[in-house]
Amino acid sequence: MLNSDIFVVIPSYNERNVLGTTVAELAPFGYSIVVVDDGSPNPERQYLSGQINGSTWYLRHVSNLGAGAAVETGTKFALSKGAKVIVHFDADGQHIPELIEKLVDPIRRGTCEVAMGSRFIESSDRALIPAGKRILLKLGVFVSWVFTGMWLTDTHNGFRAISRTAAQQIHLTENGYAHCTEILELIRKSGVRYMEVPTTVRYTTYSLAKGQSMWNSINILFDLVLRKLFR
Amino acid sequence: MTTIQAILILLCLGGGIFASVIFKSRLGYRLLILFFFVTAIAFVLFPDATNVIARHLGVTRGADLLLYLMVFAVIHGFFLLYLRSRKLERKTTEVIRALAIRDAEHLQSTN
Repeated sequence: MLNSDIFVVIPSYNERNVLGTTVAELAPFGYSIVVVDDGSPNPERQYLSGQINGSTWYLRHVSNLGAGAAVETGTKFALSKGAKVIVHFDADGQHIPELIEKLVDPIRRGTCEVAMGSRFIESSDRALIPAGKRILLKLGVFVSWVFTGMWLTDTHNGFRAISRTAAQQIHLTENGYAHCTEILELIRKSGVRYMEVPTTVRYTTYSLAKGQSMWNSINILFDLVLRKLFR
Repeated sequence: MTTIQAILILLCLGGGIFASVIFKSRLGYRLLILFFFVTAIAFVLFPDATNVIARHLGVTRGADLLLYLMVFAVIHGFFLLYLRSRKLERKTTEVIRALAIRDAEHLQSTN
Protein backbone atom coordinates (compact mmCIF):
# COMPACT_ATOMS: atom_id res chain seq x y z
CA MET A 1 0.00 0.00 0.00
CA LEU A 2 1.39 3.38 -1.01
CA ASN A 3 1.20 6.36 1.34
CA SER A 4 -0.92 8.14 -1.27
CA ASP A 5 -3.54 5.39 -0.75
CA ILE A 6 -3.86 6.61 2.83
CA PHE A 7 -6.25 9.55 2.97
CA VAL A 8 -5.95 11.89 5.94
CA VAL A 9 -9.29 13.61 6.52
CA ILE A 10 -9.05 16.91 8.43
CA PRO A 11 -12.34 18.48 9.53
CA SER A 12 -11.80 22.17 10.13
CA TYR A 13 -13.84 25.07 11.43
CA ASN A 14 -12.23 28.41 12.14
CA GLU A 15 -8.76 26.89 12.44
CA ARG A 16 -7.01 29.58 10.43
CA ASN A 17 -4.25 29.95 13.05
CA VAL A 18 -3.08 26.36 12.80
CA LEU A 19 -4.59 24.67 9.73
CA GLY A 20 -1.74 25.71 7.41
CA THR A 21 0.87 24.33 9.83
CA THR A 22 -1.07 21.07 10.35
CA VAL A 23 -1.28 20.46 6.61
CA ALA A 24 2.35 21.50 6.04
CA GLU A 25 3.50 19.02 8.71
CA LEU A 26 1.66 16.23 6.89
CA ALA A 27 2.93 17.12 3.43
CA PRO A 28 6.34 15.33 3.54
CA PHE A 29 4.74 11.96 4.32
CA GLY A 30 3.06 11.72 0.93
CA TYR A 31 -0.40 10.93 2.27
CA SER A 32 -3.43 12.17 0.38
CA ILE A 33 -4.92 15.00 2.42
CA VAL A 34 -8.56 16.01 2.46
CA VAL A 35 -9.35 19.25 4.28
CA VAL A 36 -13.06 19.70 4.94
CA ASP A 37 -13.84 23.31 5.77
CA ASP A 38 -17.05 23.07 7.76
CA GLY A 39 -18.50 26.38 6.66
CA SER A 40 -15.96 28.65 8.36
CA PRO A 41 -17.02 32.32 8.00
CA ASN A 42 -13.74 32.99 6.16
CA PRO A 43 -13.10 30.17 3.68
CA GLU A 44 -9.99 28.33 4.85
CA ARG A 45 -8.71 27.67 1.34
CA GLN A 46 -6.60 30.84 1.70
CA TYR A 47 -4.59 29.31 4.58
CA LEU A 48 -3.54 26.34 2.47
CA SER A 49 -1.27 28.23 0.15
CA GLY A 50 1.83 27.21 2.11
CA GLN A 51 3.72 23.98 1.77
CA ILE A 52 1.33 21.28 0.54
CA ASN A 53 1.88 18.10 -1.40
CA GLY A 54 0.35 17.25 -4.76
CA SER A 55 -2.43 15.14 -3.25
CA THR A 56 -4.23 17.74 -1.19
CA TRP A 57 -7.92 18.36 -1.59
CA TYR A 58 -10.05 21.17 -0.24
CA LEU A 59 -13.77 20.67 0.30
CA ARG A 60 -16.09 23.26 1.76
CA HIS A 61 -19.50 22.94 3.38
CA VAL A 62 -21.52 25.99 2.38
CA SER A 63 -22.94 26.04 5.90
CA ASN A 64 -21.59 24.91 9.27
CA LEU A 65 -22.86 21.41 10.07
CA GLY A 66 -20.54 20.08 12.76
CA ALA A 67 -17.41 17.96 13.13
CA GLY A 68 -19.24 14.66 12.56
CA ALA A 69 -20.69 15.85 9.26
CA ALA A 70 -17.28 17.11 8.11
CA VAL A 71 -15.64 13.77 8.99
CA GLU A 72 -18.32 11.90 7.04
CA THR A 73 -17.97 14.22 4.02
CA GLY A 74 -14.20 13.72 3.97
CA THR A 75 -14.54 9.96 4.37
CA LYS A 76 -17.07 9.70 1.58
CA PHE A 77 -14.86 11.79 -0.69
CA ALA A 78 -11.79 9.71 0.16
CA LEU A 79 -13.69 6.52 -0.69
CA SER A 80 -14.69 8.01 -4.03
CA LYS A 81 -10.98 8.64 -4.74
CA GLY A 82 -10.06 5.05 -4.02
CA ALA A 83 -8.66 5.42 -0.50
CA LYS A 84 -7.45 2.16 1.03
CA VAL A 85 -7.17 3.56 4.54
CA ILE A 86 -8.82 6.69 5.91
CA VAL A 87 -7.31 8.53 8.85
CA HIS A 88 -9.29 11.08 10.84
CA PHE A 89 -6.99 13.84 12.01
CA ASP A 90 -7.70 17.02 13.99
CA ALA A 91 -6.96 20.37 12.41
CA ASP A 92 -5.88 22.05 15.64
CA GLY A 93 -2.39 20.53 15.69
CA GLN A 94 -3.10 18.10 18.54
CA HIS A 95 -2.27 15.02 16.50
CA ILE A 96 1.22 14.06 15.47
CA PRO A 97 1.77 13.11 11.79
CA GLU A 98 4.55 10.65 12.66
CA LEU A 99 2.01 8.56 14.59
CA ILE A 100 -0.19 7.93 11.55
CA GLU A 101 2.07 5.09 10.50
CA LYS A 102 1.70 3.49 13.95
CA LEU A 103 -2.09 3.77 13.67
CA VAL A 104 -2.26 2.43 10.13
CA ASP A 105 0.18 -0.43 10.73
CA PRO A 106 -2.33 -2.91 12.30
CA ILE A 107 -4.65 -2.31 9.34
CA ARG A 108 -1.81 -2.92 6.87
CA ARG A 109 -1.01 -6.18 8.66
CA GLY A 110 -4.68 -7.21 8.68
CA THR A 111 -4.89 -7.28 12.50
CA CYS A 112 -7.92 -5.00 12.52
CA GLU A 113 -10.07 -2.79 10.31
CA VAL A 114 -10.41 0.14 12.68
CA ALA A 115 -7.53 1.46 14.80
CA MET A 116 -8.39 4.07 17.39
CA GLY A 117 -5.84 6.28 19.07
CA SER A 118 -5.84 6.21 22.87
CA ARG A 119 -4.16 8.60 25.29
CA PHE A 120 -4.72 6.24 28.20
CA ILE A 121 -2.68 3.17 27.27
CA GLU A 122 0.81 4.53 27.94
CA SER A 123 1.38 6.30 31.24
CA SER A 124 3.60 8.88 29.51
CA ASP A 125 0.69 9.87 27.21
CA ARG A 126 -1.75 9.87 30.12
CA ALA A 127 0.47 12.22 32.10
CA LEU A 128 0.19 14.86 29.38
CA ILE A 129 -3.59 15.17 29.75
CA PRO A 130 -4.68 18.06 31.97
CA ALA A 131 -6.47 16.79 35.11
CA GLY A 132 -9.87 18.34 34.33
CA LYS A 133 -9.82 16.97 30.80
CA ARG A 134 -8.89 13.52 32.09
CA ILE A 135 -12.04 13.38 34.21
CA LEU A 136 -14.17 14.60 31.31
CA LEU A 137 -12.64 11.99 28.98
CA LYS A 138 -13.27 9.21 31.48
CA LEU A 139 -16.89 10.33 31.78
CA GLY A 140 -17.01 10.12 27.98
CA VAL A 141 -15.72 6.54 28.18
CA PHE A 142 -18.48 5.66 30.64
CA VAL A 143 -21.21 7.35 28.59
CA SER A 144 -19.99 5.59 25.44
CA TRP A 145 -20.10 2.25 27.28
CA VAL A 146 -23.70 2.93 28.35
CA PHE A 147 -24.71 3.79 24.80
CA THR A 148 -22.67 1.28 22.82
CA GLY A 149 -21.69 -1.50 25.19
CA MET A 150 -18.03 -0.99 24.18
CA TRP A 151 -15.54 -0.33 26.95
CA LEU A 152 -12.53 1.49 25.54
CA THR A 153 -9.88 3.56 27.26
CA ASP A 154 -10.38 6.70 25.14
CA THR A 155 -13.56 7.31 23.18
CA HIS A 156 -13.31 10.99 22.31
CA ASN A 157 -10.01 10.91 20.52
CA GLY A 158 -10.56 12.05 16.95
CA PHE A 159 -7.43 10.23 15.78
CA ARG A 160 -8.45 6.97 14.14
CA ALA A 161 -7.70 4.92 11.03
CA ILE A 162 -10.35 2.97 9.13
CA SER A 163 -9.86 0.47 6.34
CA ARG A 164 -11.75 0.93 3.10
CA THR A 165 -13.98 -2.08 3.84
CA ALA A 166 -14.91 -0.73 7.26
CA ALA A 167 -15.47 2.83 5.99
CA GLN A 168 -17.91 1.49 3.41
CA GLN A 169 -20.02 0.10 6.26
CA ILE A 170 -19.81 3.02 8.65
CA HIS A 171 -21.93 6.04 7.79
CA LEU A 172 -22.16 8.77 10.38
CA THR A 173 -25.43 10.60 10.81
CA GLU A 174 -24.57 12.57 13.95
CA ASN A 175 -23.37 15.94 12.72
CA GLY A 176 -21.89 17.10 16.01
CA TYR A 177 -19.40 15.62 18.46
CA ALA A 178 -21.82 12.81 19.32
CA HIS A 179 -20.31 11.15 16.22
CA CYS A 180 -17.45 9.92 18.45
CA THR A 181 -19.90 7.66 20.26
CA GLU A 182 -21.96 6.93 17.15
CA ILE A 183 -18.90 5.60 15.34
CA LEU A 184 -18.36 3.07 18.14
CA GLU A 185 -21.96 1.94 17.87
CA LEU A 186 -21.56 1.50 14.11
CA ILE A 187 -18.28 -0.39 14.55
CA ARG A 188 -19.95 -2.79 16.98
CA LYS A 189 -22.98 -3.28 14.73
CA SER A 190 -20.91 -3.84 11.59
CA GLY A 191 -18.78 -6.40 13.41
CA VAL A 192 -15.49 -5.07 12.05
CA ARG A 193 -12.37 -5.84 14.09
CA TYR A 194 -11.05 -2.90 16.06
CA MET A 195 -8.25 -2.11 18.44
CA GLU A 196 -6.81 0.80 20.39
CA VAL A 197 -3.34 2.07 19.63
CA PRO A 198 -1.32 4.20 22.07
CA THR A 199 -1.09 7.77 20.88
CA THR A 200 0.33 11.01 22.13
CA VAL A 201 -1.66 14.22 21.95
CA ARG A 202 0.02 17.61 21.92
CA TYR A 203 -1.82 19.98 24.22
CA THR A 204 -1.26 23.60 23.38
CA THR A 205 -2.93 26.69 24.82
CA TYR A 206 -4.74 26.98 21.50
CA SER A 207 -6.02 23.39 21.37
CA LEU A 208 -7.08 23.46 25.02
CA ALA A 209 -9.06 26.63 24.43
CA LYS A 210 -10.76 25.03 21.41
CA GLY A 211 -11.47 21.74 23.18
CA GLN A 212 -14.76 20.46 24.54
CA SER A 213 -16.10 22.25 27.60
CA MET A 214 -18.17 20.61 30.32
CA TRP A 215 -21.28 22.37 28.99
CA ASN A 216 -20.73 21.10 25.49
CA SER A 217 -20.26 17.59 26.88
CA ILE A 218 -23.73 17.82 28.41
CA ASN A 219 -25.00 18.93 25.03
CA ILE A 220 -23.40 15.86 23.43
CA LEU A 221 -25.10 13.69 26.04
CA PHE A 222 -28.47 15.16 25.07
CA ASP A 223 -27.73 14.42 21.41
CA LEU A 224 -26.96 10.80 22.28
CA VAL A 225 -30.16 10.36 24.29
CA LEU A 226 -32.24 11.86 21.51
CA ARG A 227 -30.46 9.62 19.01
CA LYS A 228 -31.41 6.56 21.06
CA LEU A 229 -35.03 7.70 21.28
CA PHE A 230 -35.51 8.88 17.69
CA ARG A 231 -33.24 7.36 15.13
CA MET B 1 -74.71 30.92 22.55
CA THR B 2 -72.49 33.39 24.40
CA THR B 3 -69.98 35.68 22.70
CA ILE B 4 -67.00 33.75 24.06
CA GLN B 5 -68.46 30.49 22.72
CA ALA B 6 -68.82 32.05 19.26
CA ILE B 7 -65.23 33.31 19.37
CA LEU B 8 -63.89 29.93 20.51
CA ILE B 9 -65.84 28.08 17.80
CA LEU B 10 -64.47 30.44 15.15
CA LEU B 11 -60.93 29.92 16.48
CA CYS B 12 -61.45 26.13 16.42
CA LEU B 13 -62.69 26.27 12.84
CA GLY B 14 -59.77 28.48 11.78
CA GLY B 15 -57.29 26.19 13.55
CA GLY B 16 -58.87 23.09 12.01
CA ILE B 17 -58.71 24.50 8.49
CA PHE B 18 -55.10 25.65 9.00
CA ALA B 19 -54.01 22.26 10.39
CA SER B 20 -55.72 20.31 7.60
CA VAL B 21 -53.94 22.50 5.02
CA ILE B 22 -50.57 21.78 6.71
CA PHE B 23 -51.18 18.03 6.69
CA LYS B 24 -52.62 18.04 3.18
CA SER B 25 -51.17 14.71 2.10
CA ARG B 26 -51.83 12.77 5.31
CA LEU B 27 -55.35 11.44 5.65
CA GLY B 28 -54.75 9.91 9.10
CA TYR B 29 -53.70 13.26 10.57
CA ARG B 30 -56.59 15.04 8.87
CA LEU B 31 -59.11 12.64 10.40
CA LEU B 32 -57.45 13.06 13.80
CA ILE B 33 -57.60 16.85 13.47
CA LEU B 34 -61.26 16.60 12.47
CA PHE B 35 -61.94 14.51 15.59
CA PHE B 36 -60.09 16.98 17.85
CA PHE B 37 -61.91 20.00 16.50
CA VAL B 38 -65.35 18.42 16.59
CA THR B 39 -64.63 17.43 20.22
CA ALA B 40 -63.34 20.93 21.01
CA ILE B 41 -66.47 22.55 19.56
CA ALA B 42 -68.68 20.08 21.48
CA PHE B 43 -66.88 21.01 24.73
CA VAL B 44 -67.30 24.72 23.98
CA LEU B 45 -71.03 24.25 23.41
CA PHE B 46 -71.53 21.84 26.33
CA PRO B 47 -68.89 22.74 28.96
CA ASP B 48 -70.46 20.49 31.61
CA ALA B 49 -69.74 17.45 29.44
CA THR B 50 -66.05 17.71 30.37
CA ASN B 51 -66.94 17.35 34.07
CA VAL B 52 -68.93 14.18 33.37
CA ILE B 53 -66.06 12.60 31.38
CA ALA B 54 -63.51 13.76 33.97
CA ARG B 55 -65.40 12.10 36.81
CA HIS B 56 -65.57 8.83 34.81
CA LEU B 57 -61.80 8.95 34.37
CA GLY B 58 -61.14 9.70 38.04
CA VAL B 59 -60.23 13.38 37.50
CA THR B 60 -62.17 15.80 39.69
CA ARG B 61 -62.76 18.67 37.30
CA GLY B 62 -63.29 18.92 33.57
CA ALA B 63 -60.86 21.87 33.41
CA ASP B 64 -58.12 19.66 34.90
CA LEU B 65 -58.81 16.95 32.35
CA LEU B 66 -58.49 19.46 29.52
CA LEU B 67 -55.23 20.74 31.01
CA TYR B 68 -53.76 17.20 31.12
CA LEU B 69 -54.86 16.56 27.55
CA MET B 70 -53.31 19.83 26.49
CA VAL B 71 -49.99 18.91 28.10
CA PHE B 72 -50.02 15.59 26.21
CA ALA B 73 -50.86 17.38 22.97
CA VAL B 74 -48.04 19.92 23.43
CA ILE B 75 -45.47 17.19 24.20
CA HIS B 76 -46.65 15.22 21.18
CA GLY B 77 -46.37 18.37 19.06
CA PHE B 78 -42.81 18.97 20.25
CA PHE B 79 -41.80 15.41 19.39
CA LEU B 80 -43.33 15.72 15.94
CA LEU B 81 -41.54 19.00 15.32
CA TYR B 82 -38.26 17.55 16.58
CA LEU B 83 -38.55 14.54 14.27
CA ARG B 84 -39.35 16.79 11.34
CA SER B 85 -36.42 19.10 12.05
CA ARG B 86 -34.09 16.09 12.40
CA LYS B 87 -35.29 14.74 9.06
CA LEU B 88 -34.82 18.16 7.49
CA GLU B 89 -31.33 18.45 9.01
CA ARG B 90 -30.35 15.12 7.46
CA LYS B 91 -31.62 16.21 4.05
CA THR B 92 -29.78 19.53 4.33
CA THR B 93 -26.60 17.69 5.34
CA GLU B 94 -26.87 15.41 2.31
CA VAL B 95 -27.27 18.37 -0.04
CA ILE B 96 -24.38 20.33 1.51
CA ARG B 97 -22.19 17.20 1.44
CA ALA B 98 -23.01 16.51 -2.22
CA LEU B 99 -22.12 20.11 -3.12
CA ALA B 100 -18.83 19.95 -1.18
CA ILE B 101 -17.83 16.71 -2.93
CA ARG B 102 -18.88 17.99 -6.34
CA ASP B 103 -16.89 21.21 -5.93
CA ALA B 104 -13.82 19.62 -4.31
CA GLU B 105 -10.69 21.52 -5.26
CA HIS B 106 -7.43 19.70 -5.98
CA LEU B 107 -4.72 21.98 -4.65
CA GLN B 108 -1.50 22.36 -6.60
CA SER B 109 1.76 21.45 -4.97
CA THR B 110 3.96 24.36 -3.97
CA ASN B 111 7.00 22.20 -3.19
